[in-house]
Amino acid sequence: MALEVLLVEDSKTQAAQIKETLESVGLRVRVAYDGPDGLREAIANPPALIVLDVKLPTMDGFQVCRRLKRNPTTQDIPVIMLTEKSDPKATMSGLRSGADDYIPKDIFASEHLIETLQELGLLEE
Amino acid sequence: MSEARSPYKMRPPVMQVRVEDSMDIMIVRDTTRRAAALLGFSPAHRAQLASASATLAELVLKTGEVHTIHLNGIIDGARSGLQISSETPWLASVSANNVLTALKSKMGELVDEILLERDPTTILMVMWLTSEGRQDER
Repeated sequence: MALEVLLVEDSKTQAAQIKETLESVGLRVRVAYDGPDGLREAIANPPALIVLDVKLPTMDGFQVCRRLKRNPTTQDIPVIMLTEKSDPKATMSGLRSGADDYIPKDIFASEHLIETLQELGLLEE
Repeated sequence: MSEARSPYKMRPPVMQVRVEDSMDIMIVRDTTRRAAALLGFSPAHRAQLASASATLAELVLKTGEVHTIHLNGIIDGARSGLQISSETPWLASVSANNVLTALKSKMGELVDEILLERDPTTILMVMWLTSEGRQDER
């Protein structure tokens, strides 16, 4: 059975693109469109991986990641942040919040995302 | 094109990216992740190195001159790591202390070492793969 990914992304266009990338490598994808919804989804039905946008309404991705890593139900789920904020401060904030990777949304994002999924053992190389 | 230099012994991977326009910043970031992956850095450390090299690329791009970002594997005794470097001749007359203070305030958390070499003036940033010398063991 395919592993399930929870994608937390407020932009429906970007969510559709990332979902397509993840589905193209055989993963099943659930989408949450804001931080609180993402947290509820992750706790209610823990996925194999969470792909998290940083810029989210209500609660940003850093806050969501910190809460995921504090919750015993979700603390061991790998989190990959996929973001438009790639400066050093944002990168360190993302990694310190507990993310396993911090990937800027650029033309190489899909490749880097898939490589990290392989590295985390969620995909065969 | 400039040549890479280092106070450490250099080894593969040896990669370089010419930085001429803003698209090249993405290529620097991508190339850095690939070099770091070849050396066995974790995804999180690849992200730190990629952010450091992209920030250096943004800095040299602002001068309006073409620069080269060098990525080199390095060895120092039992330690191995990745060095990111670029010649920065426009900093030749600025005190090393001032340059290093500015660089460390912006990028000091991303890498283990930031160095400034002279003749020609070159910025070097290093992250070690082994635990010795690591500032940020996750």
